[in-house]
Amino acid sequence: MHPDCPPTFKLTGKIMLDIQEIKNRFIHELAAAGSLYDLQQIRIKYLGKKGILTAKLKSLSTVSESERPAFGRLVNEVKVFIENETDARERFLKRIELDKKLASEALDITLPGKYTAAGSVHPINRVLKEIIDIFVSMGFDIEVGPEVEQDYYNFEALNIPKDHPARDMQDTFYINDDVLLRTHTSPVQVRVMEKKKPPLSFIAPGKVYRCDADVSHTPMFHQVEGLMVDTDISFSDLKGILEVFVRRIFDKDVPVRFRPSYFPFTEPSAEVDIGCILCGGTGCRVCKGSGWIEVLGAGMVNPRVFEMAGYDPDAYTGFAFGMGVERITMLKYSIDDLRMFFENDIRFLRQF
Amino acid sequence: MRIPIEWLREFLDFDLSAGEVSMKLTMVGLEVEASEEIDGDTVLEVNVTPNRPDCLSIIGIARELAALLDLPLKMPESDIGEEGGPCEVNVGIIDDDLCQRYAGRAIIGVKTADSPDWIKKRIEKCGMRPINNIVDITNYMLLEMGHPLHAFDMDTLNARAIRVARASAGSKIKTLDGVDRDLSENALLIWDSARPVAIAGVMGGADTEVSGKTKNVFLESAYFYPSSIRRTSRTLGLKTEASYRFERGTDIEGLVKALDRAAGLIARITGGTVSKRVDAYPRPYDSKKIKARYQKINRTLGTALSEDEMTGIMKRLGFGVEKAADCFFATAPSFRTDVKNEIDIVEEIARFHGYDRIPVTVPRVPVSGGRKSKHYSYMSLIKESLRRSGFSEVVNYSFMNYSMLDLLNISQDDPRRKTVVLRNPLNVEESHLRTTITPSLIRNLVHNVSMGIRDVRLFETARVFTASGEPLPHEVHHLGAIYLRDKSPVLWKEDAPDLYTVKGALEAVIKELKIEDVRFQPSSEMFLHKGKSSDIYLSGKKAGYIGVLHPDITEALSLKLSKPEVVMLETDLDMLMSLIPDAMVYTPIPRYPYIERDIAMIVDESLRAGDVIDLIRNYKSDLIEEAVIFDSYKGKNIPDGMKSLAFNIRYRAKDRTLTDLEIESVHRDIVETLVKRTGGALRGA
Repeated sequence: MHPDCPPTFKLTGKIMLDIQEIKNRFIHELAAAGSLYDLQQIRIKYLGKKGILTAKLKSLSTVSESERPAFGRLVNEVKVFIENETDARERFLKRIELDKKLASEALDITLPGKYTAAGSVHPINRVLKEIIDIFVSMGFDIEVGPEVEQDYYNFEALNIPKDHPARDMQDTFYINDDVLLRTHTSPVQVRVMEKKKPPLSFIAPGKVYRCDADVSHTPMFHQVEGLMVDTDISFSDLKGILEVFVRRIFDKDVPVRFRPSYFPFTEPSAEVDIGCILCGGTGCRVCKGSGWIEVLGAGMVNPRVFEMAGYDPDAYTGFAFGMGVERITMLKYSIDDLRMFFENDIRFLRQF
Repeated sequence: MRIPIEWLREFLDFDLSAGEVSMKLTMVGLEVEASEEIDGDTVLEVNVTPNRPDCLSIIGIARELAALLDLPLKMPESDIGEEGGPCEVNVGIIDDDLCQRYAGRAIIGVKTADSPDWIKKRIEKCGMRPINNIVDITNYMLLEMGHPLHAFDMDTLNARAIRVARASAGSKIKTLDGVDRDLSENALLIWDSARPVAIAGVMGGADTEVSGKTKNVFLESAYFYPSSIRRTSRTLGLKTEASYRFERGTDIEGLVKALDRAAGLIARITGGTVSKRVDAYPRPYDSKKIKARYQKINRTLGTALSEDEMTGIMKRLGFGVEKAADCFFATAPSFRTDVKNEIDIVEEIARFHGYDRIPVTVPRVPVSGGRKSKHYSYMSLIKESLRRSGFSEVVNYSFMNYSMLDLLNISQDDPRRKTVVLRNPLNVEESHLRTTITPSLIRNLVHNVSMGIRDVRLFETARVFTASGEPLPHEVHHLGAIYLRDKSPVLWKEDAPDLYTVKGALEAVIKELKIEDVRFQPSSEMFLHKGKSSDIYLSGKKAGYIGVLHPDITEALSLKLSKPEVVMLETDLDMLMSLIPDAMVYTPIPRYPYIERDIAMIVDESLRAGDVIDLIRNYKSDLIEEAVIFDSYKGKNIPDGMKSLAFNIRYRAKDRTLTDLEIESVHRDIVETLVKRTGGALRGA
């Protein structure tokens, strides 16, 4: 027994005070512990093998038997208290330390992110894709034909013989007397009809060429041709298909107008106008004040064309249509200069 | 065709504004493109399609409008006294395949002078220039009736003879416009007894022109074969109001009305007397009956028109109609040369019934569903892949300047020299069809750099054209790309050399398409940097190139950048697409773990990593799953002339977990092979 220890029965209050004092000292020291290191020192000081509380527990034998249970309980209570408080403090300090670390790793979120900027699809091809998707969804296939074409397919087989005034409608680039750059995608009609039997429904997108260059003409441009042939295709069907198309491509319930026109390879022929999507039909620069904009040429396949392709014109009827992709693109995106398409300025291209 | 409303009212009483007339005409196929106010009158600009020469006149438009409004047409009267007696001019058609009718009248004792104001005003409103009263009256009649007339000074005609015949070898004529013209033997001419006096249907001769001295006039009104006139006009490059109408087709019956009315007007205004008519008309016009089936018409249009509605329209249009059981027979008036077949009748009925009144239906077709071609789908994948790699798509003309091939040092026997040449190019820069996309992309680069753009990534897919010896050239799809990134400061560094950025974009495409057999071999292209270029081989065939543009060429482009490094790429897309596997087949996911081993070697710097990788990949062992290169390094700690390459090999078995022991011998053997074959040394060994 410790020599200073007072007789047990008298010392109960002192023991209590003593342990209370340990607890108070601990609380004080814990509050001052600013780091995990400090905390570890406190833990060793109180709870270590040679720590203050451990020593107290070891002194149990010096306490009178009657006081022993109370003493033991008290010391244990304080021990648990110190353990819990230390743990809590540790968590707290760890959090502070992590916060400091995270703060030191801070990135300037106002700096731009790093990425590979995606490029762009040329506006003509973007619209071409939309056109194709619409017609494919309506059951049309895709066909192609050569851009350098024989006079026969480009003209003769489309009921445009040599010395026909309709050849004036198109200025042609010639390679020689019989070979030319196709002036429209219509020759694909003939090439497909030569190979396949009805029913037929397809579109033929592609580049076409005309010997003409000014503000509103480029020597190369894009067309989409369409053909549907079966035993019972009518002009009213043509109206149905094209009205659906026009409303879907312009994503608007635009008015559509069919008016008579002339193409040697269709009869009856039509020009298809839409209500001007810029002014809404009241008249503006784009529609030249008429309120209408021409977007398609169309008509019933001329029986002469069927004959030349080897189809029986009495057995089959069909319709054909053609449109300029540049024109539709200009209308969709309010592009006012045709030449922008072929200048390929990145500031223009990147907008699509 | 310019149509003054005031003139139109002379032949038709209608109660419509100019705007309403425009709308009516447009909706019946005579599109009014513009209108203009002149002296309180409205002049309509009507776009007459090539099939409707009968509408190239005031009467023609009035006639169409009359039919549309169901109003009577007031045809102008001609009052000719024929006091001039028999016509002194003797007319003979020699080549009657090219001229089916030639009529004329002499007007004796005329006095040329300025036309009266009302004639001048009207022809000016229609865009013609007044000349003198006689010429103006022929023009007036051309505008009013649509039939071209020609006035000769009768006294200049040798022997007062008119012969209609083809040119003979070496025929020449000075035309009214003062130009001496050589005539091809196909051209139809009007001759007097000694010489050509006019190019039939195109332009008169200067020697027989009506002038201030003219006392007697011979007025011609003829029908010339359309395609002959067109050929002559095209050959001569001479297009006139007359040739424009003759080549489209004129009214062989109505031409005498125009003749008579003009002769009457000349006599009235210039004070002459009119002779009797000469009229060579070897085979009079016979209009054939066209059978039109009611059911066919309705089925073609999708309409349910009654028989009377159909025949009613045709009658209003001036056709003779004979009804039969399930069809009718229509006889076209002589001015409607365009109506020959049943389908032409269908068109007339559709026009006059009104396109807007034809129902809107959905075609009844077998359900097959639209198919995108494989080519189209692949093309979309390729473009999308390049777009993701940061490239923007361009579209260029299919033309090129042949001299670009010289700039690119393309050798004389290179297939890219087999160009297709335009006979009538717009300019020399656009005179050949492209055999390569590269020149267009270089032009795009120059444009964008000149606009101050410093980050250029562009691609194009397009057909190129190579002469084939066949009538049509080979059309092959190519992919081209160009890349320039100026070394201006950037925040986040990109460490790979630019060549690899472009190669990476190409590899992304190849991966996307699941193509296997692509190889890169040293390039033979003279326009590329020797050390930074490669030819692309697909299935062992050269399909294109990738590389940095040769500094000499970059310099020639004067980009005004310091040491610009332009990376370019061009490859045959059709070849590339032919290697795409038809169907995607699922590969089972491996179930057993892999073992990895790295190999680091020091080798001669000229050794290509790809060749070393190939050695590993070609090593015969089922256990090698994958081999990749993960480091290529020159510099510190590596001897001069050498480089360090590091590879990672992944071993795996399909049916069991591999043990280190199992791969030990394989790996050791691979390492030994590499050392032996490359002459290199293991690093750190």
